Amino acid sequence: MKLIWVAAMIAGGLTSLMASAAPAYISPWDDPANALAAQIAELLGPGQARLTIHNLSTISNDDIPTIRRLLEQDLKTHGVLASGVESANAIRLTLSENQRERLWVAEIVEGNETRVAMVRVGLGTARQTHDGGGLTLRKQSVLLSGKAVLATVETANALVAVAPEEIVIYTHTADGWREQKRVGIGQKRPLARDPRAVILPSPGGDGFEASVASMSCSGAYQPAQPVEEWSVRCHESDDPWPIVQSDATKNSLKAFYNSARNYFTGVISPGLGVDLPPFYSAVLLPRPSDGAALLVGGIDGKVQLVENDALKPVSGARDWGSDFAALHTGCGTGTQIIASGSGEAVSDSLRAYELPTLEAVPASAALPMDGTVTALWTAPDGKSVFAVVRSATDQYEVDRVTATCN
Amino acid sequence: MLRRLAISCLVALLALPASARTRPHYGSTLRVEIEGDAWQRSGEFTRRLVLDGLTRMDADGAAHPSLAIEWKSENEDHRWEFRLRPGVHFHDGSPLTSTAVVNALNLACTTNCPWSAIHAVGVSVVFISDSPMPSLPALLAGDEYLIAADAGGNIGTGAFQVTGFNNSLLTLTANESCWQGRPFVDVVEIHVHRSIRDQWLDLSVGRADLVEVPAEQLRQAREQHLTVLQSPSSTLLALSVASSGVLGNPDLRWSIALAVDRAALSNVIFQKQGEVTASLLPAALTGYSFLYSTDRDLNKSHEKHGGLTLPPLAMSTEGGSAMQLAAQRIALNLYDAGFNVQVVAAEGTRPAELALRRIQIESNQPRAALEMMLRNAGVAAPVLENTPAELYRIEREFLETHALIPLLYLPRAYAMGGRVRDLRLSVDGTPLVAGASLEDAP
Repeated sequence: MKLIWVAAMIAGGLTSLMASAAPAYISPWDDPANALAAQIAELLGPGQARLTIHNLSTISNDDIPTIRRLLEQDLKTHGVLASGVESANAIRLTLSENQRERLWVAEIVEGNETRVAMVRVGLGTARQTHDGGGLTLRKQSVLLSGKAVLATVETANALVAVAPEEIVIYTHTADGWREQKRVGIGQKRPLARDPRAVILPSPGGDGFEASVASMSCSGAYQPAQPVEEWSVRCHESDDPWPIVQSDATKNSLKAFYNSARNYFTGVISPGLGVDLPPFYSAVLLPRPSDGAALLVGGIDGKVQLVENDALKPVSGARDWGSDFAALHTGCGTGTQIIASGSGEAVSDSLRAYELPTLEAVPASAALPMDGTVTALWTAPDGKSVFAVVRSATDQYEVDRVTATCN
Repeated sequence: MLRRLAISCLVALLALPASARTRPHYGSTLRVEIEGDAWQRSGEFTRRLVLDGLTRMDADGAAHPSLAIEWKSENEDHRWEFRLRPGVHFHDGSPLTSTAVVNALNLACTTNCPWSAIHAVGVSVVFISDSPMPSLPALLAGDEYLIAADAGGNIGTGAFQVTGFNNSLLTLTANESCWQGRPFVDVVEIHVHRSIRDQWLDLSVGRADLVEVPAEQLRQAREQHLTVLQSPSSTLLALSVASSGVLGNPDLRWSIALAVDRAALSNVIFQKQGEVTASLLPAALTGYSFLYSTDRDLNKSHEKHGGLTLPPLAMSTEGGSAMQLAAQRIALNLYDAGFNVQVVAAEGTRPAELALRRIQIESNQPRAALEMMLRNAGVAAPVLENTPAELYRIEREFLETHALIPLLYLPRAYAMGGRVRDLRLSVDGTPLVAGASLEDAP
């Protein structure tokens, strides 16, 4: 059986990856109310004024009483009594916002004269996870970058990211990953518009191997060696890329990549006895009967399974994008497939599927991602997957996605 | 029995493997139709396909590297040095050098430039000015500062190169060695000077993939179930008022500003697709545009007019029928306030005191956008401040001259066929064709 040897990869286990940074909570209204009150008091001076509040922003109207209370308190400390309904002076506060931030604008009206005070208020963001189905998917942001990230791997307390033209090494700090070293790949040819890369830890645990476009890079380090002293070397290469690797067997399944485009040619090493179509993604899945099977997402959008020396079409995958990865959860059949939703869209999603037969069955609700999923791979330990998400503003976020059984 | 068979067939059909959506494919030809000229200086996307700037703006309003990979300022923003990206070539094979960039920028900007001098220094381009240039990286992302190797602006470093132009058909071919990566589509065919009606007809029968939708026809496009891609407010419709001659009197310009009925323009001419405004920058950029009143005040307009007897004024306009209608409506508004205004062609023999204009917002960084607007209106001073309160003050001081009267913010919109995937619009509403692909590409 051609796929028997790869079954050991799954049994052999895969190494671990990445930590995450926890978001910090900031009290939203205290500081802006205080700052605005100071500005108003400077313009108006001590006295009375009628305060009206108009909300043009996405702030909930439920928050308006709190904002009013805070502003009245702060104005009072500056000698301005904001409840003077009889006063000729008026403070018209408008809670506004633009595409980057909120803006609180106070128009201070004294007779025929109107003066303006403004304070900026940060836009709050909230990240959500979504429950449903047999599994619940959760995501944690691992890395944010203003430049493209193609793939990452965690190794020796460092995070190594492959960018189109650089290898970037981060070390872990209390505030998350901090960039420590940047090494140019030295691309000799222009990259494709949709560049891709893979990076895996070296089997010996003392480095990493990365493939990007027509280049191959390897990193090497000694235990406890500072990141700055790591050796990173890149060279031109048309060797096949490792797409699955096992610590236990030291073997990997490799596939030739068309570096002028964005897909694998279909030629893999070692061969599996069947001709594969050009494909975007391929993952190994444990199968009850034969140990393992290779799931392939073709560039024609068809998902097929290489099993028993045959290429078998998989149904139920019409909602999949081109990227998927295996996730070993222990729930249900034990291994699920995490598939992107649309391949390329402003608002992508991830969803878990089971493949008990040749029909993909949804195993979770869709997990919304904040942009387009541009890369998806299984963590070396198999217990999480990593997704690179490009936002509408071309910011890149690496998310770690895990699942819990419901 | 039949019912069971039908259900079985249905189940079998549902179980058939269907093709999923994929990453973008490479190949095929994107067919675009436009009403104007392919090389129109601003607002058309051909230039953006062929040429790159030293910088580019992202959706958050930050300047990012493009042909320049890094930059630094010295001497309190009086001197800027932009280091060029190595290994970039123009479509004719010549390398992108600092000398080529300096030549291109000197051709692009002869007067009223943000800088007073540019120099090629090794692999860098140095800008020098007597005034600080805090927004220079953002300004250089603008359409007018795209880098071309030739005076005609046909040879650039962009994702597509010009390979033919005949019978109103401009052909652009994928730049295989584009520094940003080869675009997905092989060829872009731009059919110019096509009426909107013909564009929509071609889209409906599959002869075009991407056509224009003027703001005033957005509602109609939706009623026809076209797939519309619409930008936020990216075009300012404004009335430019001469500050000399008859209208050298500031009260008369103020009278004109008070007499214009923006709401009627929006509701009647632009079918409620515009955003009524009296500010230069849209609310999405600043958050303070509500501070400017958009109400028509005919009484105050009469008061400012002062009952003066004035000679007839001329108002020119550019663009299509909607702009003509808008100009005529404004002329009627002004008649109510005591002005006699005649709408004339933009290329008329007599200089017009009033001009109805469309002004593109090319930056979503408020300071840079304001500086571009002010330069467009003939005010060359750089905007140095960056707080909302200071930007508001600068904008208000300019608007109080009533040399430019903002009327409406209009979106830019396109309709696309079913083959087109992943097409997005840039900050100024330009379609980002290089990132789009076609569903039926091999």
